[in-house]
Amino acid sequence: MSFLKRARNWATGVAVAASLAVPAMAEITVSAPGDSTSGTYFDYMKTVYARAGFPEMTQLPLTSFDNNFELEGMAAESWSQSEDGLTWTFKLRPGLVYSDGHPLTAGDFVFALQRAATSGYDFAWYWDFAGSIKGWKEVTEGTAGVETLGLVAVDDLTIQVTTNTPKPYLPSVVSLWYPVPKHMVDQYGDDYALNVETIVSSGAFMLESWEKSNNSMVLVKNPTYTGPWPSLVDRVEIDPSLGAPEVGLPAFMAGETDYAFLNAGQIPFVEQRFPDQIRENAIFATSYISFDLDSPPFNDVNVRRALYYAVNREELTATVLKDLAIPAGSILPPSYPGYNPDIVAQAVFDPAKAQQFLADAGFPGGEGFPEVEIWYRDQGGYNGAITAPMLQYLQAQFKDVLGITMNIKVMPIQDWMTGLLEKQNNLFLAPYEYDYIDPSNFYGIFYNGGRHDYHNDQYDALVAAADADPDWNKRYELYGQAEQVMIDNAMIIPVVHPIQKFVVGERLSGPGAEPNAQGMTPLNRLVPYFYAHLNVAE
Amino acid sequence: MTGFIIRRLLSISVTFIIVSILIFTMMHAIPGGPFDGGEMPLPPAVREKMMAQFGLDQPVWVQYLKYMSGVIRLDFGVPFQSPGETMFSLLADAWLPSLVLGGLGVLIGAPLGILLGIAAALHRNTWIDYLASAVATIGLTVPVFVTSMLLILIFAVWLNWFPASGWGEPINWVLPITAYATIPMATYARYTRSAMLDTLNKPFVTVLRAKGLTENKIIYGHVLRNSAIPMVTVFLPMFIGTATGSIFVEAMFRVPGLGSYFVSSIRTRDYPLEMALMLMLTVMFCVAYLISDVAYALLNPRIRYGDRKG
Repeated sequence: MSFLKRARNWATGVAVAASLAVPAMAEITVSAPGDSTSGTYFDYMKTVYARAGFPEMTQLPLTSFDNNFELEGMAAESWSQSEDGLTWTFKLRPGLVYSDGHPLTAGDFVFALQRAATSGYDFAWYWDFAGSIKGWKEVTEGTAGVETLGLVAVDDLTIQVTTNTPKPYLPSVVSLWYPVPKHMVDQYGDDYALNVETIVSSGAFMLESWEKSNNSMVLVKNPTYTGPWPSLVDRVEIDPSLGAPEVGLPAFMAGETDYAFLNAGQIPFVEQRFPDQIRENAIFATSYISFDLDSPPFNDVNVRRALYYAVNREELTATVLKDLAIPAGSILPPSYPGYNPDIVAQAVFDPAKAQQFLADAGFPGGEGFPEVEIWYRDQGGYNGAITAPMLQYLQAQFKDVLGITMNIKVMPIQDWMTGLLEKQNNLFLAPYEYDYIDPSNFYGIFYNGGRHDYHNDQYDALVAAADADPDWNKRYELYGQAEQVMIDNAMIIPVVHPIQKFVVGERLSGPGAEPNAQGMTPLNRLVPYFYAHLNVAE
Repeated sequence: MTGFIIRRLLSISVTFIIVSILIFTMMHAIPGGPFDGGEMPLPPAVREKMMAQFGLDQPVWVQYLKYMSGVIRLDFGVPFQSPGETMFSLLADAWLPSLVLGGLGVLIGAPLGILLGIAAALHRNTWIDYLASAVATIGLTVPVFVTSMLLILIFAVWLNWFPASGWGEPINWVLPITAYATIPMATYARYTRSAMLDTLNKPFVTVLRAKGLTENKIIYGHVLRNSAIPMVTVFLPMFIGTATGSIFVEAMFRVPGLGSYFVSSIRTRDYPLEMALMLMLTVMFCVAYLISDVAYALLNPRIRYGDRKG
């Protein structure tokens, strides 16, 4: 074989190898909308409500939920509860490291909550309300030192958590416990979470770039990650500006994002144009009416019952809300643990019964009933899409069925919350979305004051017993009884559970983009699971 | 003229101080604060600690004086929503896309509008006039987010000529700048038509015609120059207005500009950012009006500021 021929064959071989190798090396990228264009720190344990983007993608929580809402160990390999039920021990997976090679230790988790308890963390209430961590209340109120918290890093791989009362569902609560890289905070302070160069990752992704004006970000696969749920794609480009349906859908149609959220007006068009690509998610959330139970006219249970039976949830969701919500007969959404169809069946539209209750309260046909005002908070997202039309419907419904006048007032979220806690008004429309998967989450918001300053001894006793009981069936039974007390006293009126609809591109695949066992696609309501389980069919 | 400019600069300083007091007071009068928490309020002790950390526990007038003493040294504070950055770096990064969008929008839209206006005035009551007026009216009355949506549907979704949104490459700029340009184009078309018609009816035009000047020389040498006087007063303030960003266009086309900061700074009670944005706008508008007044004098020989002999 001549030299030239040999050289040509060699060159051909290289070319073929290169042509085979190039597709294999091509990066798989997913383009996705985000939630909020504003935000400060890329650190979930520094701020939840003002966090930038999805720091949950880059830090590994102790546990997390898959798309069927089954609890999985993430940083935690195993966990156990002490005999008295007050202490939980979490064992971390060995060998976990940050993207800079520094080991991820139990100390990083303990440091995260110690800092949260002492630095004005806006989600600090959760660790008292849901976690009931020993000493939490005292430390956040500044009356005790951080060393008194029921949190101990026994060794690099062992965390011990002590609670005030037994919390059998604590492994679910800690799905929102992310580590903070103490070695970076020691070096740069909390501002480590403001710069791409100093943000290190313990999760499946790491941050590559961050456009601060709208918080669009590019995240890439973390090469040092050895935990569960490694990413299926190389890059995820997230742009929160695409989260608005009116921006997202045109961009989706132009091939610039792999999925887009839909508003009510877009749904019929998308159902016709992309019938197989439309997905929905029943968000674990409930919009309900709450009262000041101590002030007239709502201190009379018959008035509250009248309103309870005057709501036609089926008509509301099928017409006014255009299927962006489903009727709510319970504070618990469908598929949520503890969901009880017997409770739901009681929430019927019965105008005659409603009118009778109002007459029993001394206001026949609404005569003599004072004008009332319902307060709701100005909010975007799925709540923003349904709240105003829902209230207008309820306003008309209460007028028609009961003859009462209800005015509507919208206000900023903080003012609304203050109004609720300080009882500045007697009627509220309240949205609530789950924080962790356990009935205690929803029932806790009415427990012993809670979010509404409700104090019903019978309800509180049942919820407290349910919270602490290690037998799960017994717990659900007790929660059911507690909700029956809530219904009998008409403490709240569940109205709707919101639904999110979106369209996904044909190339998007993987369990994250597919419906779960209930036919729902939770998408980025489950951040750690979702982004790691997306794939692309090239 | 020099005296006029000095007097105007002094009045700008007074305006600046009055505006800063007004904005600072109004900003703090809005209920709520930057550390009021999210779903649940922060514990009072923690909230007080954070307020003290940013000096928000002091009386408003003390906060104002402290802030303004920083402004004199060109220190506009640290934006609450981007604590790791200086105000300058935050605004500089976001301003560039807004400047490109607004600047090119005006530089393209204004000449097009002038041409439309001239064509309409010169062919008054013909189909050209009707067409130009219709275009100008549509440009002014159709909201820019509707124009943006139509441009996206036609040129990105159906024809696939341009990206629907984004801001990385110059090709991304085409649709947002086009959407933006409709506003100055429509405004200028109407201004120019009306100013041209007004000037064409002036006696000096009849004199020029009697002197035998060609129609082209009359139009472009005299009528247009005289018609330009009112337009000059519109141009710079419009340029400033557009160069500071359009919330709608930037949102529809995902332009990472200043527009979103105007909204988010108020929503999140980001006092330093709110102040910096408003003070920046105040200075720019004041300077723009000063330049317009000077240009007005240069274009119109009958106006000589401060020349009492006249």
